[in-house]
Amino acid sequence: MMKTLTTIRFFKPLACASLFCLPMLTTVPAIAAGNAVSGADVYNAECADCHSLKAGKNKKGSSFVGLIGRTAGTVPGAKYSDAMKSSKIVWTPERIDAYITHPKQVVPGGSMKYDGLDDAKARADLIAFLATKS
Amino acid sequence: MQFPRRQSTASQRGGMRFLLFSGGIIALTATMNQPAQALPSYARQTGQECTACHVGGFGPQLTAYGTRFKIGGYTDSNGESGHLPLSAMFVGSYTHTAKDQSEDAGPYAGANNNLVAQEVTAFLAGGLTKNLGTFVEAGYSGVDNVFALGEMDVRFASTVQLGGKDTVIGVTLNNNPSVTDPFNTLPAWRFPYASSDLAPTPAASTLLEGGLDGQVLGISAYGFWNDSVYAELGGYRSLSTSSLHSLGLAGDAGEIDGISPYWRLGYMKDNRKSAYSFGVFGLYSKLQPDRLSSEPTNNYQDIGVDASYQFLGTRRHIFTLFGSYIHEQQTLDNTFSAGDASSRDVTLQNFSLNGSYTYDQTYGITLGVINTWGDKDALLYQSDSRTGSPNSTAWILDANWTPFGKESSWGSPWANLRLGLQYTLYTEFNGASSNYDGSGRDAGDNNTLFTYVWLSL
Ligand code: HEC
Repeated sequence: MMKTLTTIRFFKPLACASLFCLPMLTTVPAIAAGNAVSGADVYNAECADCHSLKAGKNKKGSSFVGLIGRTAGTVPGAKYSDAMKSSKIVWTPERIDAYITHPKQVVPGGSMKYDGLDDAKARADLIAFLATKS
Repeated sequence: MQFPRRQSTASQRGGMRFLLFSGGIIALTATMNQPAQALPSYARQTGQECTACHVGGFGPQLTAYGTRFKIGGYTDSNGESGHLPLSAMFVGSYTHTAKDQSEDAGPYAGANNNLVAQEVTAFLAGGLTKNLGTFVEAGYSGVDNVFALGEMDVRFASTVQLGGKDTVIGVTLNNNPSVTDPFNTLPAWRFPYASSDLAPTPAASTLLEGGLDGQVLGISAYGFWNDSVYAELGGYRSLSTSSLHSLGLAGDAGEIDGISPYWRLGYMKDNRKSAYSFGVFGLYSKLQPDRLSSEPTNNYQDIGVDASYQFLGTRRHIFTLFGSYIHEQQTLDNTFSAGDASSRDVTLQNFSLNGSYTYDQTYGITLGVINTWGDKDALLYQSDSRTGSPNSTAWILDANWTPFGKESSWGSPWANLRLGLQYTLYTEFNGASSNYDGSGRDAGDNNTLFTYVWLSL
């Protein structure tokens, strides 16, 4: 649950635009579940083609199991660009958020063919969902 | 018939692909070229599910992601080595027409209610090197009891920067104009994705609808700029009769005089939850029906427009809408001078539209209409049509079940299966709704119930 908490805290500023702001701070588990549910939809629509939720299963991108807290470019068997491998990014919710907003800016020369997700709420939901898989 | 010498190959794609003339001539190349591809070897290579590239988790209908995989040269992978680019496919089917056909539906079939191992095919499908990828099909047709080469698309592609944007540039060596196309709107890959080899289909079709399928060899160069603008230009030449023979291909579309150009321009936008595309395309062919003679040629100028929309959402409810229109201007100097057409200039048009819904990447239903119409010509169409008209309209409803093809699926990524039930209803066939052949056969007599089991490994 700790990781979920981190996620939520980080997203306080983002999520404050919505009504979720207050309950998020107080009743973390319930809201985390709620966000994670719509986050699953975001995952299915945006990421599932290339990232699996099965441990050890690498598609075009690495498995998402254990993503939060992991160092970039370190999943065994996954294919990474040199840029990603040398980025040394640690995938905190904050860095994931920045990365999927502008993949090419955060990891210039990276090989993820993804334009970016503009919707801040969708990103917050998605990261809450990913936290449940970490 | 408007293509006197194309009889054995002038297959209409889709529901109308397979011509079975009263004489029982079979479109063999078309039989082998059944578009039928959700290839597990691609899934093994990419580590992705069939659902990433295919609507409903089974080929050949591509998602925007699948479109990019094809344009990229079939080479994309998850970086693990040791993938064998080999797949296999089996199609078994049962065909029932409203009334028996006047002759047996095929050399090894009866006049109706035919159960057949329609296709057993092997594919060389996948990346051979980082830039070289293939989609090559060879197999056995139970309808004709022969082995033959099927669709072939061997490509070399690489990504460069153009105006600061990723641009895929590639070349393909292939054997059917439009087989290279990455959208499912052009004849080679449009709906219906499976159809009977043993049901009557309308006689008239534009050249692009499989008229040169397997009979030619072509090279096209293509580019795909910024994941959005697609352009392709190619040229085709006829295979010699001896090559056709050694590839197991019967029939002869005649010989292309010089090179037949094929071109295509398209635009696509992938919003991930949805995607759309639209474009224009064309083919020009001067065909010498009789290879040995130096008589005038028959010329076919095909120009078309197409568009597609797909809503993918979370992939639980998927909707698609695909359409195309082809206009063909024929200048039949050869046929006219032989006295088999009453005019040199004939137009033929084809319209195809289909919409589908797929639930949970498992249950799919598609409704489509394919309409062919054109100038009347009593001589040109005399062998098939009492009215001398090429007009036909088919409504096709296809319901299918694809239990596997997903990440958690049984057999993934080694096997995939689709079971389908398809009904084709003709409101007009070869120029009339009733007594179209002058011997009392009605369009509705050709209504076809087709059930299929489609397995790929
Ligand atoms: C078209 C395929 C594709 C899609 C869609 C995609 N990714 Fe990626 N992703 C990749 C690839 C390829 C890499 C490796 C990039 C590199 O090495 O430069 C990657 C890397 C990553 C990484 C770094 C992983 C690691 O192990 O270091 C994260 C985090 C990530 N993606 C998140 C996402 C999220 C979140 C989404 C959905 C919003 C998404 N990706 C959608 C292909 C994709």
